[in-house]
Amino acid sequence: MSDLTKEKDQSAQAHGKCMLNRRKFLMYSGGSAAAASTVSITLFAGTAQAETRKASVQGYPRKLVAKLSELKDHQPVNFNYPDEGKNSQAMIVKMGNVQAGGGVGAKRDVVAFSYMCTHQGGPLQNTYKHVGDQRVMGQCPLHLSTYDLRRHGIIVSGQAYQSLPQVLLEVEGDNVYAVGIMGLLFGRQDNLSA
Amino acid sequence: MTIDYYQSKDHAPIPPKDADVMTTACDYCIVACGYKVYRWPANGKDGGMKASENAFGIDFPSNMLQEWVAPSQHNTCTYKGKKHNVVIIPDKDTNFVNTNGDSSIRGGLLAQKCYNKDTKTKDRLKTPLVRINGVLTPMSWDDAIEIAAEVGNHVLQEHGEAAYAIKTFSYQYIENTYAITKYALRHVNTPNFTFHDTPADVTSTPGFRDAGFDNFGPSYDDWGSAETLMICGTDPYETKTVLFTQHIMPGIANGMKVICLNPRETAGIAYIKKMGGLHLDVFPGSDTLVLGAIARIIMQNGWEDSDWIKKWVNSKWESSSGFGQGTRNTPWQWRTTWGKFQTKGYEDYKKWNLKQEEYDPKSAAKKAGIDVKKIYQAAEWLAKPVNGKRPKTSIGIEKGFYWSNNTGNTNAISSLATICGAGGRPGQVVGRFGGHQRGGQKGGGYPRNKSAQKVPGRRRQALDTDRWMYSGHTRFAHVIGTTWIQSMTGSQGLAAKFEELVVKNPNQVKSNNKADIIATLKKRADSGGMVVINQDIYLRDPIGAKFADIVFPAATWGEVDFMRANGERRLRLYQAFSDAPGEAKPDWEIISLLARKMGFDGFDWKTSNEVAEEASRFSRKGRKAFHMVKVAAHIEGKTLHQKMGEMGTDGIQGPTMYNYKTGMLYGTKRLHDTTVGEKQFTAMGLSNGPVKENRYGKKMTHFNSQTGKINLQKHPWSLFGDLWEWLSPKKDELWVSNGRVNEVWQSGFDDVERREYIMQRWPGNWVELHPDDAKKRGIESGDIVMMYSDRVPVFKDTILGVHGKDFQFSELMKNGHIKLDKASISAVVIVTPTTKKGAMYGNFLDMKQPTNSLTIRVPDNISGNYNYKMGVAKIKKIGESEFKKDFRGMSFAPRNIT
Repeated sequence: MSDLTKEKDQSAQAHGKCMLNRRKFLMYSGGSAAAASTVSITLFAGTAQAETRKASVQGYPRKLVAKLSELKDHQPVNFNYPDEGKNSQAMIVKMGNVQAGGGVGAKRDVVAFSYMCTHQGGPLQNTYKHVGDQRVMGQCPLHLSTYDLRRHGIIVSGQAYQSLPQVLLEVEGDNVYAVGIMGLLFGRQDNLSA
Repeated sequence: MTIDYYQSKDHAPIPPKDADVMTTACDYCIVACGYKVYRWPANGKDGGMKASENAFGIDFPSNMLQEWVAPSQHNTCTYKGKKHNVVIIPDKDTNFVNTNGDSSIRGGLLAQKCYNKDTKTKDRLKTPLVRINGVLTPMSWDDAIEIAAEVGNHVLQEHGEAAYAIKTFSYQYIENTYAITKYALRHVNTPNFTFHDTPADVTSTPGFRDAGFDNFGPSYDDWGSAETLMICGTDPYETKTVLFTQHIMPGIANGMKVICLNPRETAGIAYIKKMGGLHLDVFPGSDTLVLGAIARIIMQNGWEDSDWIKKWVNSKWESSSGFGQGTRNTPWQWRTTWGKFQTKGYEDYKKWNLKQEEYDPKSAAKKAGIDVKKIYQAAEWLAKPVNGKRPKTSIGIEKGFYWSNNTGNTNAISSLATICGAGGRPGQVVGRFGGHQRGGQKGGGYPRNKSAQKVPGRRRQALDTDRWMYSGHTRFAHVIGTTWIQSMTGSQGLAAKFEELVVKNPNQVKSNNKADIIATLKKRADSGGMVVINQDIYLRDPIGAKFADIVFPAATWGEVDFMRANGERRLRLYQAFSDAPGEAKPDWEIISLLARKMGFDGFDWKTSNEVAEEASRFSRKGRKAFHMVKVAAHIEGKTLHQKMGEMGTDGIQGPTMYNYKTGMLYGTKRLHDTTVGEKQFTAMGLSNGPVKENRYGKKMTHFNSQTGKINLQKHPWSLFGDLWEWLSPKKDELWVSNGRVNEVWQSGFDDVERREYIMQRWPGNWVELHPDDAKKRGIESGDIVMMYSDRVPVFKDTILGVHGKDFQFSELMKNGHIKLDKASISAVVIVTPTTKKGAMYGNFLDMKQPTNSLTIRVPDNISGNYNYKMGVAKIKKIGESEFKKDFRGMSFAPRNIT
């Protein structure tokens, strides 16, 4: 269970339309998300602390957002998710073999995040940065918030009061699918209503 | 170190159109951004996505900068006994402070502050507690108050006022601080009194006070309208975020040059550098040297503002003038007798500066560990005329600066500012940026003559409550809304003394009989031990959890109407919108119960407004005088709180004036404003001088000295230099400085233990270490380290100074008044170039591992204040934290990535 790409039951076929009640994301966050719209995920997969938690993915569309073979290190690829509506701008990036929480691909270095700063909706386009083994988005041009892309978009420094929403990814062969979002997109009342 | 992992929700309710709307301001940092509270019944209908369906009147999804409710900005609370939804978001309609409805990470999470038994706030204190058999046991208000009053009165009668210590917050709302200080200073009348952030009731900025500058004279507009802004000892982005983003950042965008004097480079400083600013990354405590050198370069080049100096700097006779006033009979009188500070004016200061070897730029740069070119660059930006035109220069300081060399630094900066023409004009100001909000209103005077502490000269010095307690003179410690121990330096030694005097004393309560409890606690005090009572919103460890004999539960922000001002003296009403938990009462009410039981009169208030209205006339001399708001309110048939509430988040800047003819209220944009003219006076109805209850003091248009001019002062390095040289790292020691971070700033009492998101970001104690220092010691980010020292100097005795140098560190050392304590703390290390090589930067107020354990408990020998930022320690790896290899919490990304 250490490599999602080899997991048969992670395939799109087995997955149906995001309604499975058990799924194994390699994700390191958990918590008390509302039970009504969650599926099980595995935290710290392959480690002694492995445990199953809930993540909100029910109802989210499954959308092909990139091909692993086409992602180049440190070059974000833009996409919209979970719909084409307002505040759906997001990006997927391969972070140069630096492993990240929620990362997919062989090196677990492929992550996807919303482009909307959760403080006041500032645009984070063109703010992806890599310094040493650190990977961040920011500073936001409005009020300078910066987010840690290795750690589920947690704030490094700044004003936002929640992490940058992370788009949950699944891999099937060379295809990378967006299948859910952790955290609320700026400006929305609910991620799935725009 | 473990944390509960938190995942943000992906939905949040929007307030309905008919939600109740109240205004308040953030409870945390000095800036006090304006917020709106939306409240509607828990079983009511939420607002809809269309503008016509919600309280904001906007369509969702909302646009950049519009209203939005993050999941953490919603909570449920109890109001009039019924469950309600609350949404708390920045006020998009406010005209001042957080214009555009900006908010900090702390204020953004205010909704999480509300008491909700289903969240981590469930441990709010709800009933009075009395320690019986070592266990804090619920007790009725009547009994708990009676015990405290009986024992308190006994201590006063048997051991005198000085045995009754009162250590209190200075800021947690005007109503509370007025009641507490009326009790402490006017009725108990004890010299054993101080605020949460000082060992003695002394000024934070002695140099400002002696020069004649108010700490909070400037308006927020001023900080963005200079041409050169010098920022000392803080990154305003970290610690007054919205002042930076809404006022300083636009200034930078308009070409304002910024000079930062700070050992550390955080996000705001990195941004400033990116925009062409200058960073003087000095070693802790070396600021005075650099400032003296900058002043020298300016004077040698003739760049000083001679017109300003001619008009506004005191001559020898002017600085000595005044009968019972001026420098001859102020708290600095005993200092001037030494001739260490007073000058005869500009030429005298210049002569003195040029004579001091340490202000040679090369020598200053070497000691401070910076490139000397930066000193020359700073001097040019601050004062060099360009095309015959002087730059408009402003200077702002904060704790990293004035808690390093309290007197020296604040003297030096006042003189440098004056030479540059800063202070007293729009965009040319001097002030503190500020820490906590300004909610202090004294209800009594400090009884200085009762202090057992005296420095050479005539006057007594405010009593150092730590040293007094440490010497065993305090028999009754009344602690209000502060931890006392962790927030003072040399913390581990202080905790040990509390333990000895309180817990290890044989007189411990073993019966629940009220008379037995009183008798036992009296015996404790009589036997040389100490009784502790504590008022707070949460049980704090150790002051409440370990040491308190009686704990009173306090009501706070959002539960009672309160008034407070921010860093530009802007007063607002912080409206109540939810019930306080259990039987918790506001501190003013707790004090009123206790005072009445002790037999004091004048504590019969029934509402928070009554306390504020009584306090108003005592505010008239102060920078946030709100008396005229009450006058206006009464003329309009309203209460003071009602009138304040009407002004919403815009509030009004103190001091306030009232035009009796037009019925208009006026605030004061800046103090010491030498440009105020006839037009303004006429508008206020004061063209012929103050009218009725209006009071228009000297500080409005002049400086706070006898003449109204500035005292240009010397700043001798020698007063601090012996301590600095002794302390400077030896062998493999590193400097230990400390501070807080944006995410936890003036919010530690809520954030670090209860805010899920903040706990995930900062799950425990931390320290920043420069990559070179880390490599040498085999330390990596995420390692757990121990910082330890056997060189924590503690000034342990209360002494009467006779000779001029008695309080000088080297003399104290020689005469056996300094004890060297050992201390060690652990932390997760963050290896980052944000901290200077050779200097560690630790978390100031970790409750379990306070960096203050390593900092010097030797108060500034002139001011009596602590220099919290000064310490040294060794560091070694003791293991690896869970955060080193997994990604659930914390972040090791440097804060200066731009």
